[in-house]
Amino acid sequence: MLENFLAGTYALFGDPVTIGIFLFGVIGGMLFGAIPGVSMLTLAAILLPFTAGLEPAQGVMLFAVLYCTGTYGGAITAILFNIPGSPENAPTAFDGYPMTQNGQAGKAVGAAVLCSAIGGVASALVMMAATEPLANWAIRNIGPPEIFALVFFGLAVASSVGARTIWKGWMSVLIGLLIATIGQDPVGGINRYNFGLIDLAAGIAFVPAILGFFAVSEIFVQAEKKATGKYNAPAVSMSFPSALELWMHKVAVLRSILVGFFCGILPGIGATLAAFMGYGEAVRWSKNKEEFGKGKLEGVISSETANNAATGAAMIPLLALGLPGGALTAMMVAVFQMHDLQPGPLVFMLSPDLIWIVFAAMFYANLSILIIGVIETKTILNLLKIPFQFLAPLILMLATVGAYSGRGLVLDVMVMFIAGIIGYVLRRSGFSIPGIVLGLILGKIGEQNFAQGMQMVHYDLWTYFSRPICTLLIVAGFLTLGASVYRAFAPAKPSV
Amino acid sequence: MGRLKRGHLIEAAIFVGIVAIFYAYSFEFNQTIEIYIFGATAWPRVVLLLLLLAALGNLYHQYRHGSESQGGILGAAAQQDGESLMADKTALLRMVFVLLTPFVFAFLLRPVGIYFSAPFFIALVMIMFGERRWKAILIMTAIIYVTFIGLFLVVLNAPLPQGNISPFYDFSAWMLKMNTQLRGLW
Repeated sequence: MLENFLAGTYALFGDPVTIGIFLFGVIGGMLFGAIPGVSMLTLAAILLPFTAGLEPAQGVMLFAVLYCTGTYGGAITAILFNIPGSPENAPTAFDGYPMTQNGQAGKAVGAAVLCSAIGGVASALVMMAATEPLANWAIRNIGPPEIFALVFFGLAVASSVGARTIWKGWMSVLIGLLIATIGQDPVGGINRYNFGLIDLAAGIAFVPAILGFFAVSEIFVQAEKKATGKYNAPAVSMSFPSALELWMHKVAVLRSILVGFFCGILPGIGATLAAFMGYGEAVRWSKNKEEFGKGKLEGVISSETANNAATGAAMIPLLALGLPGGALTAMMVAVFQMHDLQPGPLVFMLSPDLIWIVFAAMFYANLSILIIGVIETKTILNLLKIPFQFLAPLILMLATVGAYSGRGLVLDVMVMFIAGIIGYVLRRSGFSIPGIVLGLILGKIGEQNFAQGMQMVHYDLWTYFSRPICTLLIVAGFLTLGASVYRAFAPAKPSV
Repeated sequence: MGRLKRGHLIEAAIFVGIVAIFYAYSFEFNQTIEIYIFGATAWPRVVLLLLLLAALGNLYHQYRHGSESQGGILGAAAQQDGESLMADKTALLRMVFVLLTPFVFAFLLRPVGIYFSAPFFIALVMIMFGERRWKAILIMTAIIYVTFIGLFLVVLNAPLPQGNISPFYDFSAWMLKMNTQLRGLW
């Protein structure tokens, strides 16, 4: 492992272009994560078409770095503006924003910097040790039925994230699955739902849809806040927490690393579940539960450690099984596909150099959160003074080029803006954008593997369920759905 | 009516309508696939059935509890409340323009091209976001446009929509010619 890691380090820092891309990812992820109204997903979606011009290892590495640093960057907007950069930063806002209101923004941001780095580095180390053995095991034990079962389980869990109600969570995932049926069916190549448009025969391209649902809809949300006078730029102070304060929370950090890593492995919503579980466990074990939600440092520490601990873990299903753990890892699948690669067990055999550059980059990206994070956070606080009316047209122009350049179709730009409008309307109605995107991305994978699995077992469901891993995952998926059905019919109460 | 509001019924009607349209359209590709007995329609129809059930379940939830959030939902805190927009007609009108402008821009890309339409779009977005200082609009439009052209045309040489109607197409051609001449200097 050490030898491979050193080789990955050499490949990463031995080439000036790769170093440049790494630094761009580190700074870009933190910057976009920290600008209100946009997120690492916005930058990732904009960059996605341009990764076609990079080496495969550089493209995948850039996204892995964006994932680590962007997850941290999203905490800054959660703390300063009560705008989580991504769903996994939502629990950070619970205590981070009250800390800002109490004049302790610097302390909260400082804790986020340190704990994101600790969680991320720990997770990267475990990821390096665990991914390859898991991939080797997967080659022998994971086939289409198991992958379908994993997709089913991931979507079952994803339906309980980000929406206002369980029903809307399910509807969000199903909307994504329905959009994924547009284009040729994965078995017979028959055109479905192209409504007479030849360009739709190839289906809805991921990039314009993702750009629309995340970047464009976010612009519309911010526009609404401007229109209704709810857009506020906060006063900012910088005073980092002391070493003693952080040492006092060592148990919370350790607990969140464990929670984050195990949740991160789940395909679908790893980091989001991790952050909420990390926060929830902190509340559960605390003697002063009533202080949470009012500006407690432990809340920020637990959430940020857990969500960054999930970033490395989320790479395990992606690289070992080819299943994305969230919206950004779903985009990484697109990066692989652009270079005629398929993430999964075979990547370890066919492109081990790519894997170890990615691992090394994630390790150093998490370390650099500590170093660059402190410096850059101060810069970001100045950049936040740029009015959003000047950022919005720039983001929309970048998104337009990003959507168009993939296939050179104006239709894709229209798809992006339509997705933006739909995303905005659905967000206002309490639907989950991550749910829609995961449905869209996992839909084709799920259908293809279901069909292949059924063909493999000659349509005999008994044989299908005699595969233990498959059965376990399907049962776990149904239990998750059962729990949500129970919640769906339970009396309404304020959300977590 | 329970706690149902008009918006809930419209939402349910939209989803039932989507399901009906997609189900009806599924007969267009209802062909058998020799190697797969479920054919091309089974998967989308199952998705449609589940979407219909979820939409009806959602309506039932809204009948019982209105628009209230449920417990146990992760990340729902990030959702925003849209009530204030509907109450403010000026803000609502402004939002309609905000939503339509990018779509009109996308529609114009094919005939007009991005090189000509971009500065107008950039300025319009600034105005819609509440910027009223003409100097600031002009300067920032110029900065964003030059950055955009510099990055995508000069540095990346990315193929962008050029338009197909004169004089817009001629303007795009002139831009590309200037870029070629600029590259010739290097």
